[in-house]
Amino acid sequence: MSRRSPLQESKAVKWLLIGVAFLYIALILLLPLGTVFYEALRGGVATWMEAVTESNARSAITLTLLVAAIAVPLNVAFGLAAAWAITKHDFRFKPLLLTLIDLPFSVSPVVSGLIYVLLFGAQGWFGSTLQDRGIEIIFAVPGIVLATIFVTFPFVARELIPLMTEQGKSDEEAALSLGASGWQTFWHVTLPNIRWGLLYGVLLANARAMGEFGAVSVVSGHIRGETNTMPLHIEVLYNEYNFAAAFAVASLLAVLALVTLVLKSILEWRHRGAIAARGH
Amino acid sequence: MSIRVEEVSKRFSTYPALAGVSLEIVDGEFVALLGPSGSGKTTLLRIIAGLDFPDSGVIRFGDRDVTDDPAAKRGIGFVFQHYALFGHMSVARNIAFGLDILPRRARPARAEIEARVDELLKLVQLEGYGERYPAQLSGGQRQRVALARALARNPRFLLLDEPFGALDTKVRRELRDALRIIHDEIGLTSIFVTHDHEEAFALADRVAILNAGRIEQFAAPAEILERPASPFVTSFVA
Amino acid sequence: MNRRVLLLALSGLVLAPLASCSGGDSGKSGGSAQLLNVSYDPTRELYRDVNDAFARKWQAEKGQKVSFRMSHGGSGKQSRAVIDGLEADVVTLGLGYDIDVIAEKTKRLPANWQARLPSNSAPYTSTIVFLVRKGNPKNIRDWADLVRPGVQVITPNPKTSGGARWNFLAAWGYGRKAGGSDAAAQRYVTQLFANVPVLDSGARGATTTFAERGIGDVLLAWENEAFLAQNELGAGKFEIVAPSLSILAEPPVAVVDENAKKHGTSEVAEAYLRFLYTPEGQEIIAKHFYRPRDAQVAAKHAGRFPQIELLTIDKDFGGWGAAQTRFFSDGGVFDSISGGKSRSGGAR
Repeated sequence: MSRRSPLQESKAVKWLLIGVAFLYIALILLLPLGTVFYEALRGGVATWMEAVTESNARSAITLTLLVAAIAVPLNVAFGLAAAWAITKHDFRFKPLLLTLIDLPFSVSPVVSGLIYVLLFGAQGWFGSTLQDRGIEIIFAVPGIVLATIFVTFPFVARELIPLMTEQGKSDEEAALSLGASGWQTFWHVTLPNIRWGLLYGVLLANARAMGEFGAVSVVSGHIRGETNTMPLHIEVLYNEYNFAAAFAVASLLAVLALVTLVLKSILEWRHRGAIAARGH
Repeated sequence: MSIRVEEVSKRFSTYPALAGVSLEIVDGEFVALLGPSGSGKTTLLRIIAGLDFPDSGVIRFGDRDVTDDPAAKRGIGFVFQHYALFGHMSVARNIAFGLDILPRRARPARAEIEARVDELLKLVQLEGYGERYPAQLSGGQRQRVALARALARNPRFLLLDEPFGALDTKVRRELRDALRIIHDEIGLTSIFVTHDHEEAFALADRVAILNAGRIEQFAAPAEILERPASPFVTSFVA
Repeated sequence: MNRRVLLLALSGLVLAPLASCSGGDSGKSGGSAQLLNVSYDPTRELYRDVNDAFARKWQAEKGQKVSFRMSHGGSGKQSRAVIDGLEADVVTLGLGYDIDVIAEKTKRLPANWQARLPSNSAPYTSTIVFLVRKGNPKNIRDWADLVRPGVQVITPNPKTSGGARWNFLAAWGYGRKAGGSDAAAQRYVTQLFANVPVLDSGARGATTTFAERGIGDVLLAWENEAFLAQNELGAGKFEIVAPSLSILAEPPVAVVDENAKKHGTSEVAEAYLRFLYTPEGQEIIAKHFYRPRDAQVAAKHAGRFPQIELLTIDKDFGGWGAAQTRFFSDGGVFDSISGGKSRSGGAR
């Protein structure tokens, strides 16, 4: 399009704005990311491999993936249910539910972690009961999973609620009028309508689940090879002046995040026809 | 089959949408629900469809009380103002939706479903459009697809909510004529909601004029024009 | 079809990792034992070597394999974690008070824990020294130089860090000696903390702030931490300055009896801590720049540790309980001089 629309700024202003945006992204985003990879590979590929296959690193990677594998599906289920309830039904405590969903966004991650220490710690409300039964939550994997679920649970719901609100109820009503059951309506109509939003929510939740530091740090106990997730392991390595290894693991974490983004782009590209057909 | 609406009332949080409405529609009739916005006409249609439920009153299809039946169980076809086509499905799959979701026992064979789709596409004059997606159609074409989809399961009633509201005048007239032809061809009891009295009078056998949740008059167009039942009717159809 | 691809992608994303998952095996099974050592920040390198040496010795003597789970962090924070249920078999912390609190709050070890091992349960001592940049550009020789205008001092937060509390007390001791009164001491530390641009929560964080981020002119550090930074972070980038007066730090160790009993590790936990007192353990300690207790080992390494006049916590401050209450508890001296505004560094 070469014709100027009335809203458009002059050419110089336009390029200036684009330039500023790119410069900003380069400075804030690409430079640190590039540094991570540069530092990670400065010692050569062999050093990098050694750092990410060393036993504490391996267990940190495993733990991180395990935590994400539990937290993300649970939050997908919760996010779908909450978005469905909020956008397709009317009930009394809707504003309250909406506020609660936002809670983890407004609470500091450290506080999110402390909540679980207060509940399940040895001095906490359920501490002695759990201890008597030999159930470990805090300073063990369950605590890390709980804290991760807490900090990631708004992502899917928050992504879906505006989308489903915008889409309204008429597609679902059409399906119902055509004889579909509630489940059929959800599966054949609602889910396809929201799949890109859902996928995006899943990716965001997954990225945060793998990258969460604050809340997990509080409940982890920092036991090497056992309750250190990748971000915590990176901190440990960094604090041991083992910078090459710290950056190696950090670069792996960054790669995991990039992989999810690439996956999303591939899916969008493969289904661009279907997306265009949606008309929005 | 006839439809009987008996003393139906419905409130939305504060204001009453319907205040004790009764109506009887005979088999094969084409009825328009006419009124200004907020008169309760769409609410009445949705209650007949089972998409909303009344606070009090009864809906009967023939002799059967269907007041508490959900929409899926009422055997109706519903056409929405903004079409509500499934964007991720082709035209053919949209039309076949009501058949595709039937349980295996009740579902017709694949070929039968495809034949039914072709038949309906022909009925709404969209032959050859089966593989397109809704986004690739004009507004008028989309509404025809929505009509075909609503008819796929041979509903007992056809309910249309402002079916031409989103279309321009020319397309509107074409589609109006097509709808009347289709109604006469299959003889389906049909109700449509409109705020346009010319449209109502041009299409319907009988017109129910609603105002503030009540029916002011329910009669054939000629009678309404000759003997308006209230000052409201007089001014509304003027 | 689209839906299937989507589902596949989603499930691949979240489920694939499960395939490679294994539960962390804990406790002791058959001929092996596992100890959880909850320690303070600067001991990472020390216990890596101690653990290896002890495991070899224990295997040779008892035929049992022993493995270690290590947890490191600020001493106060680690103490809190044990109180909250981190099931340490042994704690090796920065100062006695942090273990006193565990004993008091959880009753998982007796109140007289410090009398159970030699030398107040502290197998080594250390002290607080200054680390300055190469060539000592601000010419920092002693405590008096730290309160000069324009000198930036790096120390962690005494609220969370054991090392920082030693730093604070050493500074206080100097202020009292130089000015002759507690009021003078308070004036001195107030001036000192006015020169602190950032308070990290642990000793290691403070070292990183000073050495890696390049903030500040002088780091108040554990002696061993100062040596480590000098060696690990490029020789010749830093210099150690020994002040005229410092404090004798006695980082203690203890078995957390109830936890060890529960895990069936009482014997090996006790042996592990006693190993620190053996000549072999003391050599490892000296190698990592902690001051050994053993006279012979100490004599061997005497050249490496500067002679400094050292205050002690018991003689000069009436013990940790009194010092903690007076200086570091809420509303204590530290709160009053920092005006309650702790300028925290990186969250950890």
